[in-house]
Amino acid sequence: MSKTIKIDPVTRIEGHARVLLDCDDNGKVEEAFFCVNELRGFERILVGMQAHTLPQVTARICGVCPTAHHLVAAKALDHAAGVEIPEAARLLREFMYMGHVIHSHALSLFVLAGPDLVFGLTGNAATQNIVGMVAAEPELAGKGLRLRSLGQKINETIGGRGIHPVTAVAGGISFDLSDGQFQRLKELTAEAVGLVKELSGPVKTLLLRLFDDNPQLLDSLNLPTWYLGTVTDDGLLSFYDGRLRVMDEKGTIKTEFASADYRKFLAERTVTNSYAKEVYIDYEGAEHLYRVSTLARLNVVDGIGTPLAQAEFEQFRAKFGRPCHNAVIQMYAKLVELIYACERADQLINNSALRGDNRVPVTFTGGRGVAHIEAPRGTLIHDYEIDEKGIVRAANMIVATQQNTAAINKSIKAGANALFQGGEDEKMLNGLEFVVRCYDPCLACSTHAIGKMALAVEFRENGRITKTIWRG
Amino acid sequence: MNDGRVLIVCIGNELAADDGVGRAVYELLLEQPLPDKVRLTFLGLGGIDLLEELAGEELLIVVDGVQLGSPAGTVHRLGWDQLPATSPRPVSGHGIGIREALGVGTILYPERVPQNIYLVGIEGSCFNRLGGGLTAAVARAVPEAVAVIMTLL
Repeated sequence: MSKTIKIDPVTRIEGHARVLLDCDDNGKVEEAFFCVNELRGFERILVGMQAHTLPQVTARICGVCPTAHHLVAAKALDHAAGVEIPEAARLLREFMYMGHVIHSHALSLFVLAGPDLVFGLTGNAATQNIVGMVAAEPELAGKGLRLRSLGQKINETIGGRGIHPVTAVAGGISFDLSDGQFQRLKELTAEAVGLVKELSGPVKTLLLRLFDDNPQLLDSLNLPTWYLGTVTDDGLLSFYDGRLRVMDEKGTIKTEFASADYRKFLAERTVTNSYAKEVYIDYEGAEHLYRVSTLARLNVVDGIGTPLAQAEFEQFRAKFGRPCHNAVIQMYAKLVELIYACERADQLINNSALRGDNRVPVTFTGGRGVAHIEAPRGTLIHDYEIDEKGIVRAANMIVATQQNTAAINKSIKAGANALFQGGEDEKMLNGLEFVVRCYDPCLACSTHAIGKMALAVEFRENGRITKTIWRG
Repeated sequence: MNDGRVLIVCIGNELAADDGVGRAVYELLLEQPLPDKVRLTFLGLGGIDLLEELAGEELLIVVDGVQLGSPAGTVHRLGWDQLPATSPRPVSGHGIGIREALGVGTILYPERVPQNIYLVGIEGSCFNRLGGGLTAAVARAVPEAVAVIMTLL
């Protein structure tokens, strides 16, 4: 194969993630694997720990979505202890979470996707990056980052600490809302709603321009799959709590289930190319490829319970249909959810039930605790076995990116052959990075060592690596 | 010696092997008598959150585990011009580095970005195992990293 360069083990680099392309003798990509260099052993180190420490310990799994782990751990402990937490605790946890979702979605839209939106996809990565984007659009970027910061401050005010919150506990929340904090949260929330109103128009214009300028993406990234996401009893969008709804690739709602029943519907399988297990929906004896995250949520819901987000959602659905199978559209779905998170925070600060009893006593009598939450990047499940002394005996977690990996592999395979034809490594790397970024994966939870590469692409023929490309 | 205010930001995850070195240095620094002009803080991740910590200090020292290809336990002292860039187009929120964050800060909030920036990076060898703490060479390098920081104050 003419593209082959010498096999050199030194070129094998440790990155946050690898894309492994298995090629045939003609260099055509036969299989593609998105491999996460992920942390091993988290579930194992939880065994033997005091159950009540889990909300704080598991928050450290991920620096990007710590609040999701923090809250789902507390919910799983509530379930294990068989307690119903007070209304004020539920609302405060959700309020903390809306802060986190605002932070995460604003970061994702304005920092990660921002350069694609501002510069399009054909630019030079060396200059058209985050810093270049901020220089080109300082007002938009400044407001976007301010919105992210407001979310983080809401999260911090209720969660007690900035990045890794500490207040959610088994049985409720160890946080009493003072008058000063109430006032501060009211101001932060009002500013967030104001900013998202200002930003949503310009961001949508940029999004639609990106879609219009790249019609080939709408074709190549169109991947029919099943979807999983959380809905309220009324079928509305919900991040903190609700039932898991399953939709097939035609848009038919197949079933709904509670987190405790996840093993009946989700089949986990270990794969050779990653530490992460792949997950499939197991429905009536057949396994189905599925996706979670923003696009999945907006596919499964019937509507959104806040006015501005509902209005935007109606436009989204009118334009892209139900279900929308295109990963590029995920960015637009994120904007709709960002509007929702700001408005939902505003509903919560104005809810008088926010003040009241916020904790019930908890004792563990031995048994299982299972819960889920919609992490910014999709459904997150924690499942613990806790003994009668309150010690963790087993733990299982299903994280968002793991559920999307099979779909990411399919999209990379589809994209790689098209990108291959040009024969330009730089263009190919750009294109593959874009595909991966559309899925917004959470990589290598919690490690971040400086010097690691973001993404390496390996070519393999007959089981041997023939070439590795990455951005040095 | 400079008389301006100093911010020391230690970054890391103490649960993840050598990624915990930033935390270990932070804890050792807490035991040191530091001049009044110094503010010491700890962050789980760097990235954009680093910008929130800046309050117009003259000197910023970032302490973190690194993988730059040296023997484990090597303590690097790198100035702004020597800071390694992460990918110019990260694919996840994990990919935003100090350089990028401060580049953004310089445009949006120039008054908050310090004039002098150093990375004290401790070369690690294991970043993907949980539990068990730092590897031996990295644990031995913690006092040296603190000593390097003290020379910068």
